[in-house]
Amino acid sequence: MYRLALNMLFGDRAKLAMLLCGLAFSALLMAQQSSVFFGIMSWTYTPMVNIRAQVWVSDPMVEQVNDAKPLRDTDLGRVRSVDGVAWAAPLHTSFVQARMQDGNFKLITLVGIDADTFAGAPAVLTQGRIEDLRLPDTVIVDEWGAQLMGRTEIGRDGKPKTTPLKVGDTFEVNDIQARIVGICKVRRAFTGGPFVYTTYDRAKAYTLGARRTLSFMLVEPQKGITPAELCGRIERETGLKAWTSDTVIWSWGERSLARNTFWWFWTNTGIPFSFGTAVLLGLFVGIAISGQTFYSFILENLKYFAAIKAMGAGMGVIARMLFVQAFTAGLIGFGLGAGMAQAIGRAMIEKGMPPFVMFPQILWATFALVLGISFVSAVIGIIKVSRVDAASVFRG
Amino acid sequence: MSHQAHTVAVRATGVDMFFGTPENQVVALKQADFEARRGELIMLVGPSGCGKTTLLSVIAGTLTPQAGTVEVFGQRLDGLGQEELTSFRRKNLGFVFQSFNLIPTLSVVENVMVPLLIQGRPYDEAHARAHAIIEKVGLKGREEGRPNALSGGQQQRVAIARALVHEPPLLICDEPTSALDKDTGAHIMELVRDLSRSPERCVVVVTHDHRIFRFADRIAEMEDGRISRVVDDPKLLDTSHL
Ligand SMILES: Nc1ncnc2c1ncn2[C@@H]1O[C@H](COP(=O)(O)OP(=O)(O)OP(=O)(O)O)[C@@H](O)[C@H]1O
Ligand SMILES: [Mg+2]
Repeated sequence: MYRLALNMLFGDRAKLAMLLCGLAFSALLMAQQSSVFFGIMSWTYTPMVNIRAQVWVSDPMVEQVNDAKPLRDTDLGRVRSVDGVAWAAPLHTSFVQARMQDGNFKLITLVGIDADTFAGAPAVLTQGRIEDLRLPDTVIVDEWGAQLMGRTEIGRDGKPKTTPLKVGDTFEVNDIQARIVGICKVRRAFTGGPFVYTTYDRAKAYTLGARRTLSFMLVEPQKGITPAELCGRIERETGLKAWTSDTVIWSWGERSLARNTFWWFWTNTGIPFSFGTAVLLGLFVGIAISGQTFYSFILENLKYFAAIKAMGAGMGVIARMLFVQAFTAGLIGFGLGAGMAQAIGRAMIEKGMPPFVMFPQILWATFALVLGISFVSAVIGIIKVSRVDAASVFRG
Repeated sequence: MSHQAHTVAVRATGVDMFFGTPENQVVALKQADFEARRGELIMLVGPSGCGKTTLLSVIAGTLTPQAGTVEVFGQRLDGLGQEELTSFRRKNLGFVFQSFNLIPTLSVVENVMVPLLIQGRPYDEAHARAHAIIEKVGLKGREEGRPNALSGGQQQRVAIARALVHEPPLLICDEPTSALDKDTGAHIMELVRDLSRSPERCVVVVTHDHRIFRFADRIAEMEDGRISRVVDDPKLLDTSHL
């Protein structure tokens, strides 16, 4: 009977296509909307991704990566003396105004990294070398930032045209010159950017020797010590807060700075709400579409199931037939939708806009939702068939 | 009496069947008595709306009458639960519905296989038996097509093949030849009658088609919800309503 159930499902190509389109579209919508949502949310911990350090040390009051509470420079020495630390490097981040050549001011995120280790340096430089930061008054700007900070002019055709900054261009930060020696590629952030990298000491100069400039310390554990272990030691011995750099926001790991940042934004800002409504809308539309297509499919087959019932098929058999049909369609629909979401996601990741993070959990949740919809539709169908009066098939 | 009990296939006694609300009641069967014997083909005739289909439904256990008793092969249907009735139908009944109720998304052979698969027969066996019976109803070569690609008469033959494929002890047919021409109708009725020739079996046929009356062993006339007369010879029938 199950083979027949499948043949019934596959028998009508046009209706099957409709059904699968509905399911695939809703799976796509759900997966894609949530991926973009988590993509945007993952921008909150962008520094973790860009700066790449195993252990982060901060002031004990710090809750998330975008909110640095400056440390004393002497704290660096205390951390370095903790057993198990291979090296510790200072990191400065702050928002400052940069004055462009044309006199415009732009808000930038200044990142000061240790000139000896270059810990926290961007992973990919499309132009220039990181070592050039050792030259006087030099900075490295990220690609997107170079565009944002570029000079906009009205072209001959009347349209504004932006010329991005390039290697050799200069601007000023607090009247101190900054000369671009490299362009890097980094992930965008929710707060902050353009990212302007320089050395830790020069960052101090750019911020006019602000009393405290040490935002975070980046620490490398010695071989044989896990980052989490080292975090524990640092906290015990220095009273500072130490974090691991893993970006698995689903874990319960208290020490993940990314995770804390993510959930800090989740609970303390309106961001999840404003973007979340779009996700919810996607979910509702998805559920409505797939539920509707499924339901109409079952309604159309109702009288045939009634005939099968009149011929002596028990409700158990009919229920299983409906489940086979529903889950088969659900699986295929999910597969198509998830595949499309992946493809679209890949294209988006390439463009970088909008951000797209398809956690496996999103796929699992979409899968569960689609199967849940299949299940509910099948159950509705089963109730309908069980209510239908077998005698009705005798009437014309 | 004991001899009679042995030869009776279907016995309905004092059956009342009403539809609708008490204020707006339609009486479909009123004190209907009906009997069909083993090894016979009995026809039910009567004007439209007299209750023929309703009586078939009651015999098949798809309708439960408000009064009266129905016994099929010695089994009382009243008192059986839904699942027991379903199982009873699965084992004992073959149907030709007035509207054929073929499943349009399945091929002809798959439609015919349904009763066998419901009985839990293996797919391959069901497939082979369905092929054989389709050939008998004259549809060889159309097995893999869809019912909707067939003419009304051909669809009716598929419905008959489906009713016969599992050789049910009790075959119930509602207007089996209405869409068939004279020769095909006669051919189909031969098939149906052959089935009734076995002493274990019984066929009940509702029809308006006087051309097939000659296949009947007996003919029961219905009028206003009850059997008014049973005759052995079609010539004795009141055919004014036909
Ligand atoms: N489910 C139902 N609800 C209400 N009335 C019904 C129902 N089924 C049958 N009836 C009524 O019961 C009466 C008998 O109907 P039935 O279908 O048994 O007639 P029939 O003899 O088979 O007619 P036909 O030759 O047109 O098929 C009719 O008046 C019909 O309208
Ligand atoms: Mg009828």
